[in-house]
Amino acid sequence: MNKKLNRLLVIGLVAASVITACKKDKDLVPVPQPVENEPEVITTMKLMFVDSSNASNVYYATFRDPDGDGGTSFDIFDTIILQPNKTWYTSILLLNETVSPIDTVSNDVLEEANDHKFCFTPAGVSATVQITDLDGNGLPVGLQSKWRTSGTGSGTMQVELRHQPGTKDGTCTSGETDISVVFPTKIQ
Amino acid sequence: MILRLNWFILSVPFLLISHQLHAQNCNGSISGKVIDEHDGSPLGLAVISIQGLKKTVQSDENGNYRLDSICNGDYILLVRHKECDPLRQKVTVKGETIVSFYPEQRIMDLESVTIQAQRLTSQSTQPKDQVSPEKLDQTKGLSLGDALKTVPGVNTLNTGNSISKPIIHGLHSNRILILNNEIRQEGQQWGIEHAPEIDPFIAGKLSVIKGANSVRYGSDAMGGVVLVDPRPLRDSAGINGEVNLIGATNGRGGTASAFFDGNFRKLPAFSWRVQGTLKQNGTLSTPKYNLINTGLKEYNFSYALGWKKQHYGAEVYYSQFNTTLGIFGASHIGNLTDLDKAFHSSVPLETGKFTYKIGRPYQHIEHELLKAKCYFDTGKRGKLTIIYSRQYNLRYEYDKHPPLNDSLAALNKPDLQFEITTHTTDVIWEHRTARHIAGSIGINGITQGNTYEGRALIPNFRNYSGGIFWIERWKKKHFELEAGARYDYKWLRIYKYEYIGNATYELISPIHHFENVTGNLGAIYKKDSSFNVSLNVSSAWRAPSVSELYSSGLHHGAAAIEYGNPALGSEIAYNAILAIRYQPSDQLFIEVSPYYNFIHNFIYRQPTEEPVLTIRGAFPGFNYVQTDAILKGCDFYANYKIFKRFELTGKASILRAWNKTQDNWLIMMPADRGELEAIYRFKSHGKIQKAYLSVSALYVNKQWRVPQNVDFAPPPPAYFLLGANASITVKIAQQDIEFGLSVQNALNQSYRDYLDRFRYFADQPGINVLGRIKIPFHFGFK
Repeated sequence: MNKKLNRLLVIGLVAASVITACKKDKDLVPVPQPVENEPEVITTMKLMFVDSSNASNVYYATFRDPDGDGGTSFDIFDTIILQPNKTWYTSILLLNETVSPIDTVSNDVLEEANDHKFCFTPAGVSATVQITDLDGNGLPVGLQSKWRTSGTGSGTMQVELRHQPGTKDGTCTSGETDISVVFPTKIQ
Repeated sequence: MILRLNWFILSVPFLLISHQLHAQNCNGSISGKVIDEHDGSPLGLAVISIQGLKKTVQSDENGNYRLDSICNGDYILLVRHKECDPLRQKVTVKGETIVSFYPEQRIMDLESVTIQAQRLTSQSTQPKDQVSPEKLDQTKGLSLGDALKTVPGVNTLNTGNSISKPIIHGLHSNRILILNNEIRQEGQQWGIEHAPEIDPFIAGKLSVIKGANSVRYGSDAMGGVVLVDPRPLRDSAGINGEVNLIGATNGRGGTASAFFDGNFRKLPAFSWRVQGTLKQNGTLSTPKYNLINTGLKEYNFSYALGWKKQHYGAEVYYSQFNTTLGIFGASHIGNLTDLDKAFHSSVPLETGKFTYKIGRPYQHIEHELLKAKCYFDTGKRGKLTIIYSRQYNLRYEYDKHPPLNDSLAALNKPDLQFEITTHTTDVIWEHRTARHIAGSIGINGITQGNTYEGRALIPNFRNYSGGIFWIERWKKKHFELEAGARYDYKWLRIYKYEYIGNATYELISPIHHFENVTGNLGAIYKKDSSFNVSLNVSSAWRAPSVSELYSSGLHHGAAAIEYGNPALGSEIAYNAILAIRYQPSDQLFIEVSPYYNFIHNFIYRQPTEEPVLTIRGAFPGFNYVQTDAILKGCDFYANYKIFKRFELTGKASILRAWNKTQDNWLIMMPADRGELEAIYRFKSHGKIQKAYLSVSALYVNKQWRVPQNVDFAPPPPAYFLLGANASITVKIAQQDIEFGLSVQNALNQSYRDYLDRFRYFADQPGINVLGRIKIPFHFGFK
């Protein structure tokens, strides 16, 4: 009985060693080469402002960190310059420029609109922002908005994208920050 | 022990018969080793005698003994050693017979034996602290770090409860070395949220060598070395094993672990072991709320095969470690504002119900080790050992949110993925050239390749390194001296894609060279068994890790952007450590061990002047820079037996860590702490043995010695914790079954620990009650 048990154990062990040793050995590649599995990054946020009274009066403001967080720092960081006492139809474009062709990340945000919300916080400038696009639950998204400028002045405008999976309630408190750029802003 | 005795009584009639049958051939012999059952070290001066024959012999310093001219047949051998319980064991002699004995140390003497042990080859003059078998039992079901923490001067750096890294004298990660079954553990040690990938149940013995020790172990051993040693394989016929079952209330966790050891009568040289562990827990809780997504699943196994003859032997060992662990959800933050919000909220921004499910963010880690070892005696006074190992480590880290892009998200790829494969070879020749001199000479080679996919946090690399060392020891009555030297060389090549604009990257592959000479001098003076003192002066080195040279990116959990510095050079530690042990009587034992560690070119993260602006907002930036650092401190240990059955144990450690160049404290250093434990050992009562009850109190001071304006939040206040342990061994059906109960954080206090990365977000877990059953078994073959 014991002898049989022993033999079984030995066979089992040898079998186990053959099966388990060894996991795939990437080390056999003589020189480890970086593998292409680009993670998703957002490099660029582009704001487009269209004058409600004159569709050919268009402004752009861009923030771009060409290789994403870390590495080299941003290479474009515009000031938002708008004329006073006007309504601006504003749309946001998010890009990943580390890949070719360039990936339009804002399309993915639109697909997951139920989990995302843009928040706009002016400081020192007379501008109010009203979000005009809604998600499937009727809550604001913010890819499209209406900015109403009044008096002249300079300050900042924070544009924030909050990721709120399961917790989106129309406010800016829950979730984490996906994007947060504080644009210098001039109304002149 | 008891079992063996019983078995002996049962086999007496059989012995009498067989003795007569085999009485004709008398050219046989019995030889082998006497080995300490607890730590596997050889026991000298043991007396081995054969019952019924007037044959007695004493083991030599290496534990070897030999009895010649013995007739074939069955005998009872009696092994006695002054520090051990007498051991009776049946031995069947058939020609040249090899048997090793494992007498058990008397429990009360454990502490003193570790100090007085008379070993020549394996031990060094450097202080070595063993986690007592009792503590090893009490921490079963917890992490490796929890077991190591019972040694004074050792702390842990935690990321929640499931990720725990040992810190020795303030140093951790790449600055300490973990030897898992003699092999240096090679995973992604650089990350503070990367715990050692080792199943604690593998350890039959767990010990810590404090102080720099590069000469014997190579690079990285700046603060100390952790030794995880499995039990020696069985070398007498039979099968034994152990089953451990552990349940924990916090996280509703369970652990099951077992091993089987065997040796065949027909093939006495061959031994085997199989071992495995399963572990799972769900959401942990603090006194006030649940720590969302803190579940863990782990399965590990190992096996070993050994072939042992008197003058040579070989061993193959394979182990695999697999874990999937949730990372506390509220610790993942978008930017500094989020962190600030999380820190100022009294309850984490996310809590939830208990579940065993592991959601994002989580880590999945696999580690495998294959080791082959052979050794043979070279003449009468030497032994050559060759060890080869291969390790493969895989680390997947999943971010809190899947990619926005649906097709990317559907792939469910880890956001960070590392694979590192390491091969090592060691050739060591141990020798005894004269009566009082022993030493070892060795060479060692390592090659390692690392690849990543996903986010580029550290680049691909390959390295080759080699070292050569020579250590000699001289020992005479009261004195023991040791001297050693080592030379190391390391070649490292990086393969990194660097952004050059216009969505294009260029491959750069710089080569780095590092070489270092290290040395050590040690002395022990041993007056008698009541007093001994040792002093060690040694050096150690460490090449900068690839993360320190080339990391460039956002650390999500840490909310920081780190910039590596390719110009970094090697760190070099010069370390002095003194250990004074005083044992005036059996009642009292005191150990005081001050140390001083000067580290030249100590690498640390210095904040950049301006925060780094990204599309996610502003982050603190850190550059890796070098300074000269001084880490000095003292460890205390005292044990006092107030009555025969009642004893007190006190432990304390203090540390001062100073950044010399900056004239400031070093960040992330353990606070001063002290622990007191009272234990009552009950009298054995028939079937009930080894019962004890202990209560412990731990005080950890607030770490106020921190650099200002570097950390996100001030260090948490001091805390005080109560714990308790109880154990009882009951003989049921011829087996000594051990039942244990441990209580952690007995008062269910809310507290935070400076060395836990989650202290910014949440409290430490509340009360945890662990129940344990240990079922050993042992039976022989006919």
